[in-house]
Amino acid sequence: MEATKKPLFTMWRLILVAIFSAGAVATYLRFVVGWHAATNLSDAQPWGVWVGLSTLCGVGLSAGGFATAAAVYLLGMERYRPIVRPAILIAYLGYLSVCAGYVYELGLPWLAWHAFIYYNPHSVLFDVCFCILAYTTVLTIEFAPAIVEKLPWKGFRDTFMHWHHRLAVAVVLAGVLLSSMHQSFLGGLFLIFKGKIYPLWYTPHLTTMFYLSAIPAGLAMVVIALYLSNRSLGTKVDPEIIKEVAWVISPMLVLNLVWRMVDLVKHGGGPYLFLKRPETAYFWLEIALFIVIPVVMFNNRKIMNRPEGVYWTSAVVIAGFLTNRINVSINSLERATQANYFPKWPEMAIVVMMITGTVLVFRWAVIYLDILPKRVKVPTKRWMANAGVAANA
Amino acid sequence: MATTQKALLIDITKCIGCQTCASACKEAHGTPGDPEPRLSETALTVVQEKDGKFVRKQCMHCEEPACASACLVGAITKSAQGPVVYDKSKCVGCRYCMMACPHSIPRYEWSKLAPYMKKCDMCSERVAAGKPTACAEACPVQATIFGDRDEILLEARKRVVNDPKYVPHIYGEREYGGSNMLFISDVEFDKLGFVIPKDDLPLPDVSKAALDEAPMVVLVGGTMLAGLYWITNRRREVLMAEAQKKTLRFPVMGDPEERS
Repeated sequence: MEATKKPLFTMWRLILVAIFSAGAVATYLRFVVGWHAATNLSDAQPWGVWVGLSTLCGVGLSAGGFATAAAVYLLGMERYRPIVRPAILIAYLGYLSVCAGYVYELGLPWLAWHAFIYYNPHSVLFDVCFCILAYTTVLTIEFAPAIVEKLPWKGFRDTFMHWHHRLAVAVVLAGVLLSSMHQSFLGGLFLIFKGKIYPLWYTPHLTTMFYLSAIPAGLAMVVIALYLSNRSLGTKVDPEIIKEVAWVISPMLVLNLVWRMVDLVKHGGGPYLFLKRPETAYFWLEIALFIVIPVVMFNNRKIMNRPEGVYWTSAVVIAGFLTNRINVSINSLERATQANYFPKWPEMAIVVMMITGTVLVFRWAVIYLDILPKRVKVPTKRWMANAGVAANA
Repeated sequence: MATTQKALLIDITKCIGCQTCASACKEAHGTPGDPEPRLSETALTVVQEKDGKFVRKQCMHCEEPACASACLVGAITKSAQGPVVYDKSKCVGCRYCMMACPHSIPRYEWSKLAPYMKKCDMCSERVAAGKPTACAEACPVQATIFGDRDEILLEARKRVVNDPKYVPHIYGEREYGGSNMLFISDVEFDKLGFVIPKDDLPLPDVSKAALDEAPMVVLVGGTMLAGLYWITNRRREVLMAEAQKKTLRFPVMGDPEERS
């Protein structure tokens, strides 16, 4: 890499400093000053954006990890092997950020371990916790080679890789099952709010809705990460591969729309579709952003032939996905709870800090580990062994 | 069940809105002070004026409580005598109980840094000692009465049947699977701010249905994925074998050692 002199304070660095300072102040407000200073949560609205955005979207956008791992390891789509690692890394970081988010969300986070000694198997939340822990473990195993291959101890490296190779398929299979369960159970959390949830979002099959919508959103996240790495980190992922991943999203979105509408009409949501109420607007905004606009864009050759087009279309999918999760977890309850909830700035500051942290770690991983094929060879650090195999495959 | 379930009957036609029950409750739960207009972490029962009537609001003590089934750590349980009780030593503060409660009763100590959930516990300690709840004991006009659930229900039915002024409905007899807090009234319940469910299905059954599907989905999904992997693997083996055959036919193409 050329040794060009870079200024110490670039715009992005200043933005980073701003985000983390805000996050630090918000953390102080939450843990030292109190709930009223840090949040707009109330008895009417005990769950806010820390659940709606951090947990629901953090997990949902991680779905690309199990989807690509399944495609390559279980279905033999070898062509996509180069993107398994970044996808797994996204999922791993997503899950870690969800775990970190719980520190803020729980009232007594230092007692979180109670969940595993006083477990209540009838609670969907317990199953969600179990899945988070189990799948984070699986992701650690899946991602471990990227770190282990950089370790200087050859004997350990070889033994680890040998066993990892032998167990890879079993681990991937467990991962697919666990995270599928987890995605569905997140929807299952809301089943018990029956009667409080506005009919446009309530169905006994919320589990299916969450599962079906997480996969395209997770893939869109992978597309975005790959595009941005190509653009700003000098990696060289074949744009054709990115395009093909994006291409899969479109039929999934159509499936989502068809399923959603059939289910809605079947469970009595039909009459609510065109009422003059704010919920109707939220609902159609969600359908437009998550499904209609992306599907039109994905099927427009002009847009799809440009990498930026693929990127922006995926970004719209994600915006639609966020709208859906916020609708289910906050807007749908508004009429029943009359809470008038809007997040206070520290709540959002924490969410933004979590996202930024995830992006930063992803960036470092791409730079220092073999996550993606690189155009420019990054100067090898002393403790680094040879470049790994997976990324060059 | 050896112990009989206790229950409260609240007769809205009799309540005069004197707030004595609310004060007694505060006294019994160690937060003395003036009665509050709304439920809070320090007011576990309140009397509110709705449609010209005085209506008490507090935990319904459901027969099959949504909060107990939702609770991550099983801190909320339905006791044999009826009260739905909360063991704060287990709580982690996820607030799923507050979200799950169809009546939106649980309150949270938002002003504290180590907050716990607060709700009416139907004076479980007094009840266990054979005493009525503080609110029932305090009521000067017997608008709230305490007793065995069977007898209380019978009394409610007697009043509703014998006096035409009552709405022919006992709220809490069947709602969400029934509760230990029963209301009778001369005004329709939906006008008094009561939640009217579409069916009487207990809420825990709703999430149970989803959880019960999981093992089957995992089993079928796991088998299908394993099957798909088997096919993938088999195809790879066949491809490899065919490639090897070709190499053998044209040994010039390379050293088989090197290729494998």
